[in-house]
Amino acid sequence: MILRSLLLRHGRLALPKPPTPIRSWRRYLASEVEQTYTNPHEDQQFIAGGIDGTKSQAIHSLTTPTTTAASSDNQVKHDWEFFHHQKATTGKLGSAIAPHYKPHELLSNPPRPQDITLELLLASQAHIGHSTSLWNPANAKYIFGVRGQHDPIHIISLDVAAAHLRRACKIVHGVTERGGLVLFVGSREGQAHCVVKAAKMAQGCHLFTKWIPGTITNGQQILGKCRKRVVNHLDEEVPGFEDQLLQKAAVKPDLVVCLNMLENYVLLHECALNNIPTIGLLDTDCNPTWVTYPIPANDDSLRCVQVIAGVLGRAGEEGQAVRRARARRGRMPARQNHELEAPREGEADVRPLEREMALLLAAEAFEEEGVEVKEDEDGEGEEGEHVDSSLLGAEGLDVEEGEGAIPYERDAPIEGGANSGRVEFSPVVEQRGEIRDEGEWATEGERRPGQGRTERP
Amino acid sequence: MGRYDFSPQRVHAHATQLLAHKRLAIPPPWYSIIAFVPPSERLTRPPLQRSQRPGGKKASRLFKPLRLRYEEDRLRWEYFNDHPWELAKPRVVLEDDGRDAEKWDWSIPLDHALNRPKSGATSEEGVQLDLEWDSIQAGQAGRPINGEAVIQRTHHLLSTGLPSSLASSTALAEFARHRHYTETLLRVAREEAISTGAFFGPGPLEIGMQLEDRQYDGWKKWAEKEIVALKQLQGSAYTGQEAEGGGQDVVALEGGTVGGEEGVASEELQVVGGSVPGSRAGQEARGGVAVHA
Repeated sequence: MILRSLLLRHGRLALPKPPTPIRSWRRYLASEVEQTYTNPHEDQQFIAGGIDGTKSQAIHSLTTPTTTAASSDNQVKHDWEFFHHQKATTGKLGSAIAPHYKPHELLSNPPRPQDITLELLLASQAHIGHSTSLWNPANAKYIFGVRGQHDPIHIISLDVAAAHLRRACKIVHGVTERGGLVLFVGSREGQAHCVVKAAKMAQGCHLFTKWIPGTITNGQQILGKCRKRVVNHLDEEVPGFEDQLLQKAAVKPDLVVCLNMLENYVLLHECALNNIPTIGLLDTDCNPTWVTYPIPANDDSLRCVQVIAGVLGRAGEEGQAVRRARARRGRMPARQNHELEAPREGEADVRPLEREMALLLAAEAFEEEGVEVKEDEDGEGEEGEHVDSSLLGAEGLDVEEGEGAIPYERDAPIEGGANSGRVEFSPVVEQRGEIRDEGEWATEGERRPGQGRTERP
Repeated sequence: MGRYDFSPQRVHAHATQLLAHKRLAIPPPWYSIIAFVPPSERLTRPPLQRSQRPGGKKASRLFKPLRLRYEEDRLRWEYFNDHPWELAKPRVVLEDDGRDAEKWDWSIPLDHALNRPKSGATSEEGVQLDLEWDSIQAGQAGRPINGEAVIQRTHHLLSTGLPSSLASSTALAEFARHRHYTETLLRVAREEAISTGAFFGPGPLEIGMQLEDRQYDGWKKWAEKEIVALKQLQGSAYTGQEAEGGGQDVVALEGGTVGGEEGVASEELQVVGGSVPGSRAGQEARGGVAVHA
């Protein structure tokens, strides 16, 4: 029987209602509404236990003669201690349940790489492959045998599976130890929880919906607006790189773990194109050449997928712990190919919006005065920064020195296009002299002789 | 090879080339670990470890995975052929830690739960039999007693040296006794519950009858539509030159033979019977193809 409040039929009010923590908090807020609140049950007489009154509170209110508002904290503390005392004394009563499989523990407390045993893989149904008519013969050496009379299936060798899984754990551990980014992908139903949990443990990224084709090869377009940040060796965010990050495409993962290979063949192909190593859960009908490190196991069993994702996440967690311990001891990690420059002292404080405003004002001032354009210091810096090395072709994107500092990228004019005969309206174009007032619509013939236009290659 | 793309396996070599040609300034984070733990071999055949059947029919089967066979398979085949409805009984295949099969001791009879000795009974050596039974039951009470248990028990008895007929008959007798007991238990429990006010939903037979009724109603509607379509077809194929009275006679005949069953069909018949080709009124256009549901 849960006692929340005892209604006294014949008796006076034993005690005033002890204020609960929520109510006492409300009283500290100066609110007229609270003070004018009238309890509809005022006329009834209660031994009250509060909002979530416990039996102990009701009993306590019976036994102790007086309570004051100041002892409300003691009340809460007393309740808390009483709850734990009750749990300790009465929790073990009843049948002694032998240790057994609890499905939620695969997500709340996943197994570690040290816990990989053949029995664990067997219990997780990792040995169950597909029908023999659907197999990929390249997987022959991962298969133990065939079981079944009428619709036979392949049985995956558990010792081979365990060996490959341990190897994959070493890779995840090694990559995270060296500060690499691991992406966990699992787009089937029910895999979201284990994918997110594994990514959290390895401090990487996760994906449990469809992989958008081109996320790596066309990353500037698809992930152009995603948030990027620069962290130091102690995982603390470092400010001052915002303008550089604005022009940078999203970071590519250093390792990709794919839990359903057949559906994510595009992802695996993009990783192969960009030289990113992959780990994949290989069923008997998958192609083993698609991934760098296959793990032959059953991808249709959610329990198996959760075990493998949990084990790989734990390996990533251990690698991250090693890296952090090393960083705390002062051993810096190896340099990375991020192509970022250290922010200059003065510019670190100025926000990009304010910088752009300052540049526009300067441009307007130039337009009025007709001053020659100087080579800005920023122009040189920008040339190196906003260009991704992978995008550089034979010539690269050349920004004319005469153009000066432009905070945005501009397209090259098309020869013989719509704008070919048009004077480009730009405040920072002419090398000498003023801009005429015709604006955009002046044709070449109307321009004064001797005035050159800077041309882009 | 043409169809295969081995670039996932050559990730490290590719990175080495990029570094050598200065396309990459710094090795990626995975470079050293992948060098230390390289990817496994692909597209290689497994070695012939176990003896394939000598004088096999096809050389292409030499490298295919073997069919796994166990002694219990023969016992299963015999048992479930004799008792096919045992396959319909639900069976839990969920395992706790993968060592569940090691927990069960098949030297203990299947009807052990029904054989508790009298309290205080002692064997010749002085062992308390009832306490011994209690300790065995504490570990083995969770044994699933089903067709699979029969097979495991038979297998154990065969391993002790019993002849196969005796082993199987012993296991079957124990199983039958246990099954009889549990079925009686369930039946009595149900009767007790009903007598004290419990009620149950429709049983499998009742649900089967409901499903059959639903199917029959659906078939009946389909059959009515089919009859209408058939009559239309027959009516359109009729080319005799008869007065409308003759046509009506034909209709009356047909109505007499068929119309007794379906009232709807006879109504439709009369309508069609009016529009007979070759008659003075001519045939009404009723579409090109017979109506099908």
